Amino acid sequence: MSTYRRKESVPLPPKDAASYNTVCQYCNVGCGYKVYVWPDGAAGGAAADANAFGLDFTSPQVALNGLAYTESMHSVIRKRDGRDYHVAIVPAKDSPINLLGNHSSRGGSNATTTWSDSRSTRVRLHYPLLRVGDTFNAIPWADAVELQARVIKGVLDRYGSDQLAAKIYDHGGGGGGYENTYGTGRLLFTGLQMKYTGIHNRPGYSSETWGTRDRGMHELNYTAQDARLADTIVLWGANSYETATVFFAAHMMPNLQGATTEEKKKFYNATEPMGPARMIVIDPRITATVNAARKTGAQVMHLRPNLGTDYMLANAMARVVWEKKLYDTTFLNQHTDMKSFADYKAKSLQADRSYEDMLAEAERITGVPRADIEQAATWIAERKKGGFLQRTLILYEKGVIWNYRQYDTVAAIAQLGALTWSVGRPGTGTGRQGGHQEGYARPGYPGPKPPPDVDKYVQSGQGKLFWVIGCNPYLAAQNNQLFRKRIGERTAALGRFLSVSASQAGEPGSMAELAARILDGVEKTNGLFLTVQDIYQTETARDAHLILPAAQWGEAELCSLNCNSRLLRLYDRFMDPPGDARPDWDIHAMIGRRLEALYTADGKSDVSKRFAGMDWKSGEDVLASAEKDLYASANTRVPASEAGGLDPEGFKGVTYAFLREIGQNGIQTPVRMDPKTGELVGTERLYPTFKFATTDGKFGWYGTRPWDDHKSAAAVAKYLTPEGEQSYPFWFSMGRNQIIWQTAYHQRHLAEKAATIPLPYVEMSPEDASAMGFASGDMASINNEEGNGVFAVYVTDSVPKGMLFAIMYHWLGTANSLTSPYTDPMSTNPWYKGTRVAVHKLAGPLPSVIETTSFLPVNDFG
Amino acid sequence: MALARRFLMQSSVAAGVLADPVLALAAFTMPDGRLWPQVKVGNVKDLEQSKPVGFNYPDEKSPAWLVKLSGAAYEGAGPDSNIVAFSAICTHMGCPVEFVGDRFICPCHYSMFDPAKNGQVYQGLASDYLPQIALEIDAAGDIQAVRMSGLVWGRVSDAPVRT
Ligand code: SF4
Ligand code: FES
Repeated sequence: MSTYRRKESVPLPPKDAASYNTVCQYCNVGCGYKVYVWPDGAAGGAAADANAFGLDFTSPQVALNGLAYTESMHSVIRKRDGRDYHVAIVPAKDSPINLLGNHSSRGGSNATTTWSDSRSTRVRLHYPLLRVGDTFNAIPWADAVELQARVIKGVLDRYGSDQLAAKIYDHGGGGGGYENTYGTGRLLFTGLQMKYTGIHNRPGYSSETWGTRDRGMHELNYTAQDARLADTIVLWGANSYETATVFFAAHMMPNLQGATTEEKKKFYNATEPMGPARMIVIDPRITATVNAARKTGAQVMHLRPNLGTDYMLANAMARVVWEKKLYDTTFLNQHTDMKSFADYKAKSLQADRSYEDMLAEAERITGVPRADIEQAATWIAERKKGGFLQRTLILYEKGVIWNYRQYDTVAAIAQLGALTWSVGRPGTGTGRQGGHQEGYARPGYPGPKPPPDVDKYVQSGQGKLFWVIGCNPYLAAQNNQLFRKRIGERTAALGRFLSVSASQAGEPGSMAELAARILDGVEKTNGLFLTVQDIYQTETARDAHLILPAAQWGEAELCSLNCNSRLLRLYDRFMDPPGDARPDWDIHAMIGRRLEALYTADGKSDVSKRFAGMDWKSGEDVLASAEKDLYASANTRVPASEAGGLDPEGFKGVTYAFLREIGQNGIQTPVRMDPKTGELVGTERLYPTFKFATTDGKFGWYGTRPWDDHKSAAAVAKYLTPEGEQSYPFWFSMGRNQIIWQTAYHQRHLAEKAATIPLPYVEMSPEDASAMGFASGDMASINNEEGNGVFAVYVTDSVPKGMLFAIMYHWLGTANSLTSPYTDPMSTNPWYKGTRVAVHKLAGPLPSVIETTSFLPVNDFG
Repeated sequence: MALARRFLMQSSVAAGVLADPVLALAAFTMPDGRLWPQVKVGNVKDLEQSKPVGFNYPDEKSPAWLVKLSGAAYEGAGPDSNIVAFSAICTHMGCPVEFVGDRFICPCHYSMFDPAKNGQVYQGLASDYLPQIALEIDAAGDIQAVRMSGLVWGRVSDAPVRT
């Protein structure tokens, strides 16, 4: 009885089960988990002294304080010794992040995502695969490495590194971490000097937050505790209840409920007022976060700006602060650069213009009532009774980062934070919520800033080899339909050429001959050789010539940090990868070593030496190599006051042994050496003495670009005419939800998750739904000039009339088919979250979906 | 054994699982091999729409809700397929769920479960659907709880602990 096969019991780990510390593979929060592994047939008993949890299961666990060990926290795996093992992956009770063993629906099912040939994860890639005609054949690693190395070398020698292109992840957690980001960086940057390298979720090698970094303020400057200490929390384009779930539930919620007073007493001045935090959510939608915050009973403001207008809203709020003199002159003078402030004052605050004028225009552009702009600014910056500064934590995420003129949007919020001194003090901070976790250790990128747009480069016929590593641009690239079409054409052109005889299909047999034929083909057909390296056979892999199987989280050690505290921990290895799959760093090392040998054989020692030193045997070898490469000359023996000048993710001195010893406590980066004792110490807040990452330590200001009604995004602006608005009557935005993580690479294979989100969907307002005759579950064909797709309609008051919001990546159709090709010229980052579309009703719903999938509103908590 | 045969004859789900005798057996026995307890939990005529009735199943340490929904439920019991029963304990961290507006909601971190879709967790922090209790209704309208589907939070087995 159920849409999927359920369990009515789970076995307990025996006392002698192997146990490991790890961290959730998914989101920015980085909840701690414990892993227990034991051989089949050796389960523990219910008595506390008979199981590895040390807990009494003869009666039920107590709510909240007990251990959650649920159906999806257990699975059975097989190791390379041929035996079956049980795996239990439960929330760590001793983590400073997921307090009390909190966890989300994503992390709670970490165990079900482990690989097994007896479960749905059997579809993990097991072997290197070579395209032969229209099928994929398994080949040994040595041959896959030979082919990849020879094609790379052929392109490099004949055309130079600009004809090599790649998309790679830059994050931590599952599919990332220091070991793997360094492995890719060492090969692609040091070895191959590839400037046509883009990042997993964007077209170029950009920062998503240059708008704040260029001010000298790194985006991860706060610590999770600040969410428990703040008077006011601002969530800007961040649906934290669904995308930073435990950060919201375990840190913000208690503060909204007034349950953190005791903790506040330790940090507040003796007479400083304290109470439950207030929350300001800035989001066009009534997200689950808005209503979850309201349900706590807290004071909540919700501002709903029109799409792509957030920087004007932030600047208007800053103007209110300026007008009402809610800033601190001493802070501005001592810790910010008053020379560049003049530019900010003129362009962003528009101080020469009347206050009335500016606010009236802001209301017109953003659609946010002037009174709300003023009240929100007041909540952020007003003095508390007794003249104490407000403690405001301002967090933003993809609603800001994937906005129109995203550089200015990030800058405007960072500057609002600096103007209101919302940084460095306990309970404050102005930065990113985070999407993925972090774990970045890479040699410098060899290209310019802003970087070239790799997606468009490859689409336009440039690049001979395209290497897609741990990401899925067939779902994630902007203007996706065109991207897929062009890449498909170019890879197919090469595929056709590989048949040696025009009238027959046979392709060369040896790897050396095949590589030669490929190199001939990319020249003659302007085709593209596509290599996909991943844990699953992704949508992008359907056009690949070569597929390289990678190990995932839990199958190799990795070091990463969360976003909300920069808390570095070791994610231990507890199982074998499927088949012949190997960690990404290992794959890069094999190819690097082969290139080194090929260039040595050519007598080109100047090139071969760029690949030297990739003879790593373990993740720890990679970590040591990265440390030597990146931090050999860094002086980290400095006090916390100097932390702002260090690499925010710096880990000098850290080893696996050290991380194993500190376990779930982890250490906050940048890791420093105590000036007195020389011991490794963590860094809570990046700027505790307001010394920023600029040459003089002062926060630098930026004057924004003048408002242009989206004209610089020509691909969107073309719809903003009376005719355009008639033909494409809806604004279209997109983003994530609670249940599926990113491309749902795991969840699509888990019946209980896939049944919840079986189809790509769009949220539609009740007014629009009734005008067009839609009920929840009805299918809609949605199109614009860029692309089209079919989505299930989900009627909800979340979106305003005239706007649709789509789940961003779904395996049955990506919202990116509709996104525009616009990027901010300051950063090469797209505005994924805004374009225009038309909607056509198809013939009702899919009956099986209506029967088994809930369409209840996810933002209505009653 | 008589009891098990009665299931095989009458349970609406039995037809689907009969093809696999091992699965069939699993469906009718608890994880410890004993038969699921059969508990009368109410009568159709006493149930008011959207007014949940509490009971315990499979033992007194496992609170549950019996409820008649406003519309048909996937695998619901009764002439209108709208009678369902679920564990009353949230599968996230064990708080008692409340029935409000035709769905279950947890007061602790707001997980929400759709009783018309097997207890699907369509929002919130819980990973697992709410455990569902299979119901049988006889000619007199008596409603029997006959089996659990899914693990009740806080336990490692739905089978009552043997002491
Ligand atoms: S909140 Fe994020 S890190 Fe924590 S369990 Fe969920 S997905 Fe994992
Ligand atoms: S205990 Fe129910 S949502 Fe957390």
